[in-house]
Amino acid sequence: MSKKYLLIVVLVFALVIAGCTAADAPEATCADEETLCVGFVTDVGEVDDKSFNQASWEAVQEFAAANDVFEVDYVETRDAKDYEANINLFVEAGYDVIVTSGFAIGDYTAAAALANPDIYFIGVDQYQGFDVPNFTGVQFNEDYSGFLAGAVAAMLTETDIVAGVYGTNLVPPVQKFKQGFEAGAAYINPDITVISTYSPGGFETGFTDPEWGATTAAQAIDNGADIVFGAGGQTGNGAIIEAGTQGKLCIGVDVDQWLTLPEAHACLVTSATKLIGPAVIDMLDAYMTDTIPEGNYIGGAGLAPYHDFEALITGDMQDILDQIVLDLESGAILTGFVLEE
Amino acid sequence: MTKENKKKDDQIKERSFGIVGVIWKKISVPLTSIFLALFIGGLIMAISGSDPFEAYGALFQSAFGDINGWGRTLEKATPLIFSGLAVTFAFKAGLFNIGTQGQLLMGAITSAYLGFAITGLPAIIHIPLALLGGALAGALFGSIPGLLKTRTGAHEVITTIMLNYVAINITDYLSNGPLKEVSSSDVVARTPPIEASAEIPQVAGLPLGFFIAIIFAVFVWWILEKTTLGFEIRTAGLSGTAAKYAGIKVTAIIVITMVISGALAGLGGAVETQGIVGRYQPGFNTGLGFDGITVALLGKVHPIGNIFSALLIGSMKAGGAKMQFVADVTPEITNVVQALMLFFVAADRVVRWIIRQRETDDEGLTLTTGWGN
Repeated sequence: MSKKYLLIVVLVFALVIAGCTAADAPEATCADEETLCVGFVTDVGEVDDKSFNQASWEAVQEFAAANDVFEVDYVETRDAKDYEANINLFVEAGYDVIVTSGFAIGDYTAAAALANPDIYFIGVDQYQGFDVPNFTGVQFNEDYSGFLAGAVAAMLTETDIVAGVYGTNLVPPVQKFKQGFEAGAAYINPDITVISTYSPGGFETGFTDPEWGATTAAQAIDNGADIVFGAGGQTGNGAIIEAGTQGKLCIGVDVDQWLTLPEAHACLVTSATKLIGPAVIDMLDAYMTDTIPEGNYIGGAGLAPYHDFEALITGDMQDILDQIVLDLESGAILTGFVLEE
Repeated sequence: MTKENKKKDDQIKERSFGIVGVIWKKISVPLTSIFLALFIGGLIMAISGSDPFEAYGALFQSAFGDINGWGRTLEKATPLIFSGLAVTFAFKAGLFNIGTQGQLLMGAITSAYLGFAITGLPAIIHIPLALLGGALAGALFGSIPGLLKTRTGAHEVITTIMLNYVAINITDYLSNGPLKEVSSSDVVARTPPIEASAEIPQVAGLPLGFFIAIIFAVFVWWILEKTTLGFEIRTAGLSGTAAKYAGIKVTAIIVITMVISGALAGLGGAVETQGIVGRYQPGFNTGLGFDGITVALLGKVHPIGNIFSALLIGSMKAGGAKMQFVADVTPEITNVVQALMLFFVAADRVVRWIIRQRETDDEGLTLTTGWGN
C-alpha cells in the first residue's frame, strides 16, 4: 500500500519539476532602449501597508498611467538581507528607474546607484551623503507635521493628557514625528502631559505589531489620555483603532489615513502626513524632463483634511494652525528636533 | 530449510524491505503535507488570477536553477537548520523553546563583537572563536528560562517569549550604542563589519556554514540517540515523573537541555553573522529563530529531518522574490503555503486519513508534554 503512494509522490514530483523548467520563457523587453520601465522595492513590510510603501507604489502607478511607461512592477522585501538582491532583480531586467522605499534600504540604493550609472534611483526617506548624480534622496520634515498634530491634539484634549504610540526609535523619521508631536502639544499648552511610547520591537516587530500598539494605546487611555497619535506602520494603526474602539480621538500618520484605514473613521481627526506620493511623482517627472535635483529633495509635510471631524476644529483653531505652518516655514517656530542616540 | 532459518530469513526480508518502509513511514506525512500545501497555494494563485505553474516554476528556478540559486537557498537554510535543531532538542525533553529568536540574536551580536573587536588572528582560530562566543551567548541566554523553570516553576513558553523582547532590546541598545559603527554621515544602527579573518568563506559558490550546520545536525542526532544524556533527555521528555523514579535528575536535564538548545540557536546567529551579514544589524535576523519552530515540526522533530525542512523553507525564501517578480504573485503566498504545511503536519490525522496510514506509537509528536510538566 505505502509503496504505491511513494511511487505516486515521486511521479508528481517529477511532473512538477518538468512543468517548472518548461514554463520558463519570459520575453525581456524592459532592456530595450525605447521602453521606459519603473520598478519599486519596498522596505520590510507590505506594498499595501495603508501608509508608507503604499503611497510610493500608488505614485509610481499614477505616473505610469499618465506617461508612456512600458512596465511597472514591485518587489516586496521580506528579509532585510535581500535588499540588494531585490534591487538587482530590476537592474538585471533592464529597468530605467528604480524607486526604493524606507530608511533602512538607503545604503543599498546608493551602492546600486554607484554601480549602475545609467539607472535613476529614487530613495524615499533616504539621505544621500555623497554625490551620486543618478540618486535622489527624498526626505520630509516629519517634525513639522508632528508639530501640527501635537497642536491639534493639545487644542482638542479635555484631560490635558495626550498619547503617542510609535514604531522603533531606530528610524530617524519616527523620532521626528515624536519630537514634533511633543513640541507642538507643549506649544499650545506648556502644562500638557504627553505619554510617548516607542515600540520595543526594534526593526523586528516595531512596525508590524498592531497588538502591541493597541495595548499601549489602551494603557495610555487608562492613564487619562483622550487623543492617541499612532505613528509606526501597523503598530500605529493598532493604536489608532484601539482609540476609536474606546471612543477617544486619534491622529494618523504618513498619509491621509481616513482614506487608507476605514476602521479608524470613528476617531480619526486628521493625519500627520508627509506628501510621499507627490514627491515621488515630482522626481519621476524630473527624470522625464532631465531636471533631476542634485543630492536630496525635501518633500512636503502637513496635516490631512479633517473629514467628518471638520466641526471640531473651530475657525480660531484653524487660524492658529495656519500661523504655525507659516512660522515653521519662516523659522519663527523651531521644533527643536535632535537625533536621539 | 529449518524452521530457525526460515524465521531468520523472514527477519532479514522484513528488515531490507523495512528500511524503505520505515523511512517512508516517517516522511509520508510531511511530504503529503507539503504537496497539499503547494496544491492549495496553487489554487489560491489561480483564483487570484496568476498562473501557479509559472509562479512555482519561477520559485524553483530561482532557488535551484543554477549555482547562485543553490547558494541562496543554502544561505537561507543554514540559520534555519540551527534554530530548527534548537527547537528539536528542547522538544525532545518536552520543552517548548520559543526563545530561539532571542538566543539567536544574542549569538549573532556576540560573534559580531568578537569578529570586529579582535584583530590579527588567523582565520583558523578567529572563526571558531567567534562561533564559540556566539554559542556561549546563546547558551547563557537559554539557561535563564531553564533555571527559572526549575527554580520557580515559571513555564518556559512564557519566559522564552518574554526573553525574546529582552534580547531584541539588548541587541538594539548595543548596536545603537556601545558597539555602533562610527562614521561621519552614517546614522544606521549597526556594528562595524567583522574582520576578514572571522568570515566563514564560500566553497565553490556555496556557503560553508551550511556544511557546518549539517555536521551539527548529525552531532545533535548522535547526542540524542547514542548517549546517556540523550537517553535521559528523551525519557524526561516522555514522562518527567517516570524519569524521576528512574533516578534521572530531571531539573538538571531541563537546564542542560535549555543550555544546549540555546547554544544551537546562538550558533545559528553566529554562523549567519560570520557567513552572510558580516556584522550585526538590527532587523537582519528577523524571524530566523521563529522559523525554527516550523522547521522542527516539518522535520518531524528529527535532527536530520530538520535539514530537509530547512532546505524547503529556505528555497521558498530564496525564490519568493523572483516568484513575485515574474508571476506577479504576492510574496505572502509563501507564508500561506508555509502555514498550510505546518497545519497539515500538526493536524496529521487529516493527512493520515488521506493517505490511509495508521498512526503508530513512536511517531506522535511530543508537543504537549511540556505543558503538563
